[in-house]
Amino acid sequence: MSLLSFLARRLALAIVVLIGLSILLFLIARVLPGDPARIALGPRAPEYAVEALRKQMNLDKPLYTQYYLWISSLLKGDLGMSLLSRRPVQDDVKEYFPATFEEVLLAAIILSVGGIGLGILAAKYSNSWLDGIVRIFAYLGIVTPAFVWAIMLLLIFGYWVPIFPIQGRISPGVTLPPVITGMLTLDSLLTGNWVAFWDTLKHLILPSLALAMAPMAQAARIMRSSMCSDLGADHVAALTAYGVPENRILTKYLSRLSLIPTISIMSLDIISLFAAAFVVELVFNFPGLSRYGMQAILNKDLNAISGVLLIFGVLFTLITILIDLIVAYLDPRIRLQRKSI
Amino acid sequence: MKTFNLNATWNSVKRSIYKFSRNKISVVGFFMVLFVVIVAIFAPFLAPYPKHAGAFVDYKNASQPPSLAHPFGTDVFGRDILSRVMFAFRGALIMGLGVIAMIVPIGVFVGLIAGYYRGTWIDTVIMRITDIFITLPALILALAVAALLRPTLFNSMMAVAFAWWPWYARLTYGMASSVRNEVFVQAAETTGASKAHIIFKEILPNCLAPIFTKMALEIGWVILVGATLSFVGLGEQPPTPALGTMVSDGAKYLPHQWWISLFPALAIMFIILAFNLFGDGVRDMLTTEEV
Amino acid sequence: MYSKNLRKFGVVLVVSLILALVASCGQAQPSPTASSPSPTASSPSPTPTTAPYTPKAEDYIIRSTEDWPTYIDPAVGNDFSDSISLVNLYDSLVFPTPQGEIEPCLAEKWDISDDNLTYTFTLRQGVKFHNGDELTAEDVEFSMKRLLTIGEGFGYIFSPYVQDCKAIEKYKVAITLKKPFGPFISALPRFYILNKRAVMENIEKPGPYGDFGDYGKKWLLTNDAGSGPYKVKEMKMEEYLLAEKFDDYWGGWDPDAPKFFKLSATSEPATEFALFAKREMEITSELLPLETYNSIAKLNGADVVAFLNGNNFNIMLQTKKPPTDDIHFRKALAYCLDYDQVISNIYPGSVQSQGPVPTVIPGHDPNVFQYHRDLEKARAELAQSKYADKLDQYPVTLSWCAEAPEEEKVALLFQANAAELGIKVEITKKPFGSMIADAQSPETTPNASLIFVASHYAEAGAMLMSRYHSSNCGSWEQCEWLQDPEIDRMIEDSLATVDQQERFQKYYAIQEKIVDLCPTIYVFDQAERRAYQSAYVHWLPGEAAKTNKVYVPIMGYGMYAHDMKVWPEKRAELLSKP
Repeated sequence: MSLLSFLARRLALAIVVLIGLSILLFLIARVLPGDPARIALGPRAPEYAVEALRKQMNLDKPLYTQYYLWISSLLKGDLGMSLLSRRPVQDDVKEYFPATFEEVLLAAIILSVGGIGLGILAAKYSNSWLDGIVRIFAYLGIVTPAFVWAIMLLLIFGYWVPIFPIQGRISPGVTLPPVITGMLTLDSLLTGNWVAFWDTLKHLILPSLALAMAPMAQAARIMRSSMCSDLGADHVAALTAYGVPENRILTKYLSRLSLIPTISIMSLDIISLFAAAFVVELVFNFPGLSRYGMQAILNKDLNAISGVLLIFGVLFTLITILIDLIVAYLDPRIRLQRKSI
Repeated sequence: MKTFNLNATWNSVKRSIYKFSRNKISVVGFFMVLFVVIVAIFAPFLAPYPKHAGAFVDYKNASQPPSLAHPFGTDVFGRDILSRVMFAFRGALIMGLGVIAMIVPIGVFVGLIAGYYRGTWIDTVIMRITDIFITLPALILALAVAALLRPTLFNSMMAVAFAWWPWYARLTYGMASSVRNEVFVQAAETTGASKAHIIFKEILPNCLAPIFTKMALEIGWVILVGATLSFVGLGEQPPTPALGTMVSDGAKYLPHQWWISLFPALAIMFIILAFNLFGDGVRDMLTTEEV
Repeated sequence: MYSKNLRKFGVVLVVSLILALVASCGQAQPSPTASSPSPTASSPSPTPTTAPYTPKAEDYIIRSTEDWPTYIDPAVGNDFSDSISLVNLYDSLVFPTPQGEIEPCLAEKWDISDDNLTYTFTLRQGVKFHNGDELTAEDVEFSMKRLLTIGEGFGYIFSPYVQDCKAIEKYKVAITLKKPFGPFISALPRFYILNKRAVMENIEKPGPYGDFGDYGKKWLLTNDAGSGPYKVKEMKMEEYLLAEKFDDYWGGWDPDAPKFFKLSATSEPATEFALFAKREMEITSELLPLETYNSIAKLNGADVVAFLNGNNFNIMLQTKKPPTDDIHFRKALAYCLDYDQVISNIYPGSVQSQGPVPTVIPGHDPNVFQYHRDLEKARAELAQSKYADKLDQYPVTLSWCAEAPEEEKVALLFQANAAELGIKVEITKKPFGSMIADAQSPETTPNASLIFVASHYAEAGAMLMSRYHSSNCGSWEQCEWLQDPEIDRMIEDSLATVDQQERFQKYYAIQEKIVDLCPTIYVFDQAERRAYQSAYVHWLPGEAAKTNKVYVPIMGYGMYAHDMKVWPEKRAELLSKP
């Protein structure tokens, strides 16, 4: 069975799941008490204005019609009006999503490089003091919630060793790069604005680090244990007997293998990075989609909540499919299987 | 494949305990968990100022750094932090154990049904429903649900349970659907055993090991999600102490009054570490290595 | 191929990245002076050994933070951050002075008809809007119609009274009232004038207001149509408002006045402290915890001042929801609160409130009854209430505002005090946006809400109207749902009285009656506490507080940036010291 049909099946599945998610969110939003039109216009707005808005929001039609209209406007890109910002949710999303995206991207890079690197190091020097340090760090890292990491980093780098900024995306006085992708680091890079690039990168480091620490510890641990157990395997003994240098074995043969379970875990980890960002962005006052989602949740801004959850739902489904594809490619056993998965 | 037979004799139980005790780290974990449980249960007797965990304020004594009278210092309301941390262990334990106790029966039951009826529409419907839930990470779903309800301990437990149960359903489904095709199950069917008997007496016992393992390992994570919820204000309300709330309250006063955040944060890490080590030990105990 | 070379390369890459980062940190900050720092912090002359500091335009900036959200539409905004923005972006017909009087602003003079129902204003000529248009009577007429139609924000002050607003000539406008409105001129600063042409060009149709579409509400979320000293440069709805100087402002400019004014949403006290210490904020909000102000006070060149600002802090009791619907229950709560602990330990500098009107507001009744902590009386009152023996079935739900962390201290104190009577209080921390939403219906409003309230104009009637008149029910300023027809009548009658003495007497009667009904626990008159960079900023309220001069601020006018001064060279000097 080819990669293509695998992809097709997963996509079909994903669409079904997303439809289900949208129904769930729609029901939650409609079932809760409160008149959305009145809430949107405020308590002192004249009644005729509220009526007009109610008609505009289609609140007088039956539930399934409302759902159909909601979905069709969703597909056109209209996610409704946010209570807090008083502007369309999709505008808010366009503004805040790139911030979270580049934050998570940097965190993913840190956690992959760091986790895999540490894992390989610990496996190579297993049972030495280096291994011990890595293992202790791994345990502590895993049990520390992201928000505790965020506060610790805030304390260390915000006050005791103040080398990184502790809030926002860019320092006042640094000119913003023109909006190409919305990701400040990328945009500054593309336009050759080095000052802005370093500045925005520095603003990203603390939130990304806080996000990356726990999963990095986890990845290091899994990488290490998977490589350690593989080190004892027969084919490794054979390779050593043939005179292949140890480093070569580690990186060329073993890493590939150990990479598979690590990468599968990492897909879940990257998704949970977005989740952890909800609290980390709050601590660092980082204006990303997760902080927007968190504030929408705390303020019961229903349109914003369902908009953010749907965006994340679509995003996570895509990420899962992507990672599954990568794993399927890497693991010949899956790739060459003829049976369905 | 790693398997375990739960039709235990007393000897095999003794063997498992012995095996557990050989692993030093797991034993440490066990005693840490024991410590947490004892502190939680006996907090009113162990805490130096049990009244401070209730409706109590003393602004003259506010923001005192750690001292002999107050080993963890006092918070901005004048309450002893050590006593409050001890009482906060209760909320954490109730969250961890309570949520697991809620979702395991439900999740396992649903998974069993889906696994037994594997290949039929029942299976497809149930699995698609769980798919919807696991699209979003548990934390995000729990946050959204908790925010829509009134903030109490029970509601935050409900929110976490709502987000977490599908994982047990899927795990059980995986095990059940493979066990379902085993020979002894088919034998039972042929001899006319009822569906209930097959599901609960034949299939279930063979799924238990991974379920128990997952339970033991996950208590720590549930507590972590609970702490995150209370960090943003969605758990117990004052004056009841909650570890996440104490950390977020103290964060306002960094770096000058560092003790208000630090000790609850260390307590969170301690509890999660305890359950993690213990859970690792349980996992090692319940699985046998294949040579 | 792989292995050693790859690993080495990776290490080199990472190390060079780190080095580059650390190096760039050094570049971004101003280079420290090599010479010894000047001997005293207040010495004004810059140290001579470095190259002379040439300030850029953006250094002439005043940055402050305030409670969010902020609505800069004059027909929508009515809260602190809204007022601060409106005061700087727009002008009104008259302007309130720091001494508590009214002086002409856009109107040079005005005449009042004998029946007190028609006010004719002669407008100043040559006033420009931010887009260059000239301000005429047509704009005034448009602005009033818009304010009354939309009905939000400060509209409620004028809608019971204003019949019509007509442009009689190009620079003359007549406002006719339905009935006499004594404090009309005092209230007029809240009527901000918009540019009719600019708004009409940006309305969206279809909208709830018929031909006027959405009346420009969407556009005015992020833009301004004003003539005030500052105009909107950037408005990020979730984060900040950045306003820049309007050079053609009719009121002229002091050379040291700020060229930029930035109002941001408050963040964590730790972050605010850090920003202030790095001199990236000039005036803090008034919402920081006491510990943070004390830490700031230790910094060089910073002053922490507190002044009675005409706001008071209330525990608003929901009179339509059990158990606070019982007057004896409410009085029991009023008698059990430890007011002294609040004033001495939580909000030092404040004074205990005496009734619903703050003591500095004209029209305050100096003889109105004041509750004090008395557990005997509290228990006696509780015994008379119908919930006396069912206390655990009727918990008191309480909300406090997440953006003001100190409120939690009052909430917990209230909870501890109430527990002494056996009353259970359930505390919830809510973002202010949530409290606004909860206040909209009696079902969602909690039993007790902790809210700071400001007077919208400098008379007791303003407070009484916004706080207790049933036309303002559903607003966050009225979580009591009092809806008492007698009080409504008394308030309307007082506001219709043109003679000030008579009016004030009527205010006194209202205050006494309200305190009798005990719908609110009046905790304290707020001493607004802010820290500001006194070394390089001149801020009138700060100076007045230090010298104990009279300062009667109306909400928002304390932050009128046009009258502030900032000296960037002094800021640079402060930063260059260790």
